[in-house]
Amino acid sequence: MTQIAIPNIGNYTVALATAVESLGIKPWASTATTPEALKLGTEAAPESVCLPLKAHLGHFIAADRAGVEYALMVNSVGTCRLRYYRHMIEQILKDLGLKIRIFGLGFDGFKPPLVRHFDPGPITFLKPLFHAGEQIRAIDEMETLAWKTRPIELAHGETTRVMNKLLLELSRCRTLAESRAVRRTTASRFATIAVDRSKKPLKVGLVGEVSFLRDKCLNKNIEYLLGDQGIEVKNFFSLGEELRNIARIVLLNKNRGRELLDIADRYLQTTVGGHALDSVAHSIRCAELGYDGMVHLAPCGCMPEVGVRPILKRVSQDKDIPILELSFDEHTCDVGITTRLEAFADVLRERRRKRAAVGVS
Amino acid sequence: MFKRLFKNAPAWIGGAETPAPVALRIGIPRMFAYYIYPALWETFFKDLGMVPVVSGRSTMQTVRLGAQISETEHCLPNKLFDAHLAELVGQVDRVFVPRVLSTIKDHLSCPKFGPLPDAARAGIARDAVVLSVDIDETKTPLVETLHRLGRLLHTPRDRAAAAAEHGLSAMRAAHARMAAPLGRKGGPRFLLIGHPYVLHDDFLAGPVVQKLARMEAEVHRISFGDEAPAKSHILWSTSNKIFHKINSLAPGEYAGVIQLTVFNCGCDSMLIDTFRRAMKEKGVPYMHLMVDEHLSQSGMDTRIEAFLDSLAWAR
Ligand code: SF4
Repeated sequence: MTQIAIPNIGNYTVALATAVESLGIKPWASTATTPEALKLGTEAAPESVCLPLKAHLGHFIAADRAGVEYALMVNSVGTCRLRYYRHMIEQILKDLGLKIRIFGLGFDGFKPPLVRHFDPGPITFLKPLFHAGEQIRAIDEMETLAWKTRPIELAHGETTRVMNKLLLELSRCRTLAESRAVRRTTASRFATIAVDRSKKPLKVGLVGEVSFLRDKCLNKNIEYLLGDQGIEVKNFFSLGEELRNIARIVLLNKNRGRELLDIADRYLQTTVGGHALDSVAHSIRCAELGYDGMVHLAPCGCMPEVGVRPILKRVSQDKDIPILELSFDEHTCDVGITTRLEAFADVLRERRRKRAAVGVS
Repeated sequence: MFKRLFKNAPAWIGGAETPAPVALRIGIPRMFAYYIYPALWETFFKDLGMVPVVSGRSTMQTVRLGAQISETEHCLPNKLFDAHLAELVGQVDRVFVPRVLSTIKDHLSCPKFGPLPDAARAGIARDAVVLSVDIDETKTPLVETLHRLGRLLHTPRDRAAAAAEHGLSAMRAAHARMAAPLGRKGGPRFLLIGHPYVLHDDFLAGPVVQKLARMEAEVHRISFGDEAPAKSHILWSTSNKIFHKINSLAPGEYAGVIQLTVFNCGCDSMLIDTFRRAMKEKGVPYMHLMVDEHLSQSGMDTRIEAFLDSLAWAR
């Protein structure tokens, strides 16, 4: 069977794999970039490019070595380096003498070139889309529950076990009905986890660059690390939300960007590119909603995200919300990140204690 | 509320209480927009009866200040920009930080330029009044943007229009001046490529230009004043301009091309390779030099000498 490498977008990869599989193509994927792939990418790419490119590239080189003929990647129409990824990756793969052929996903005509190439007919083309949509919805529901449960679980690791089991089941679903059935059991499955309801966990929002928000290898598994510290997280990249936004733009000509601009108001008056506006707007919102802190994740030197860091610092001061800025490159080590997160958690706990003492809720 | 209303109100609303109008002092950081639109801002503001104040030339001092006060991961020019901005805060009535979104129709600026005025207000220029205007040449011709800027400053329409005209012609003249070769006339011709605010900054490009001149070369810097480049896969305006220029080089036009990149520049990091390939295909000798905060003249000198030696040997 034809094989195609698909990009790593965290747990969402499961849904993407399902869609590809129902086209009759075998997906080659993992939910996180493997350390080996990252190493391959780092060696092959120019040193000064940003880390997500190296991750992408490494993933494709590893796929080619495994005998995969095709690869799928997102075409960006944005302002930052992402737009040039495909061009650069194709050049490098060619120089390395690799045969793997890349298809862009979306944004150039209604039918993606991949579909045109394999031409599965309209029904076979639409069905997987709905199925993947259902799975994305299921994954979003699971994640939300996992973020809430992990910090108060009694048996360490239980949440992660339940989560992984559900994901595995979801990945085995062949029809929309099966996936829906799994989604409907999600809440009750999480409810079986023994928790300490008396705990009032700290709440932290995760904002920043997408692959760092979602790729557990790149972000050193930050959701788990924070959960282990007894912190409830909310990750502000949701694929379900992105897709709903695209639908809103197409159908209603309503862009979430405008809402975010209203929130960011006097701090940022442009969308910048990437998810930089989201980072600023969500930080402001979270401060108002009483979050205890934010973590801003970005690859070192990320053009849009670094561009708004002075603004995040000001939001942090004005709105009194601690924001931890984390930057990652190929030399970032797990221990360093863990240490910084522990220190951050201490700050947040201390801050909450002090606020409780003076009666600020 | 009322305070805010009055702060933004034109001076004449204040009536008898307002002191005799003194010319508004407008600070212009000597980075980014200052070089992208050379001579435009000084001419324009002066014609509106204001006093443009341009920050000093970049020196090692500027670099040190930038390293202290700017974002650690900013590109070097953005750090320099912050230092130039800081130099003006407290010295002027307004600091001018336009939001440069697009400088050529259907092209985009570097994503760092979008949040620049917001970042200035949030940080370095928090105690100053930031004057800003959106420059998006994809949507609005530059001259109309200047008219808008005139309105923001409460200047009569025809005065702003005349100032805009004058400013634009001063800019064209400045572009021509900036394209004039340096070094020894008639020496081997070298082309320097890079962002305009890199090629014309004393700290960033000075050492390279001087070294080439000392080696009796005729130094040309790519001009950003001429017509829009052909469309390509590159959407960043400066980068596509450079791409276009090197694609249209005539054989033998230059003895060599030197690309001057800056530390942590995202655009450069994506395109060095593309440019190198293009030059290789054309058979034009090419070298890439990266400037960082620790620029050492001797290091630069050695590399330039080696490059020129290799050319002499090839001939
Ligand atoms: S193009 Fe490069 S040097 Fe210029 S502002 Fe952007 S990142 Fe900095």
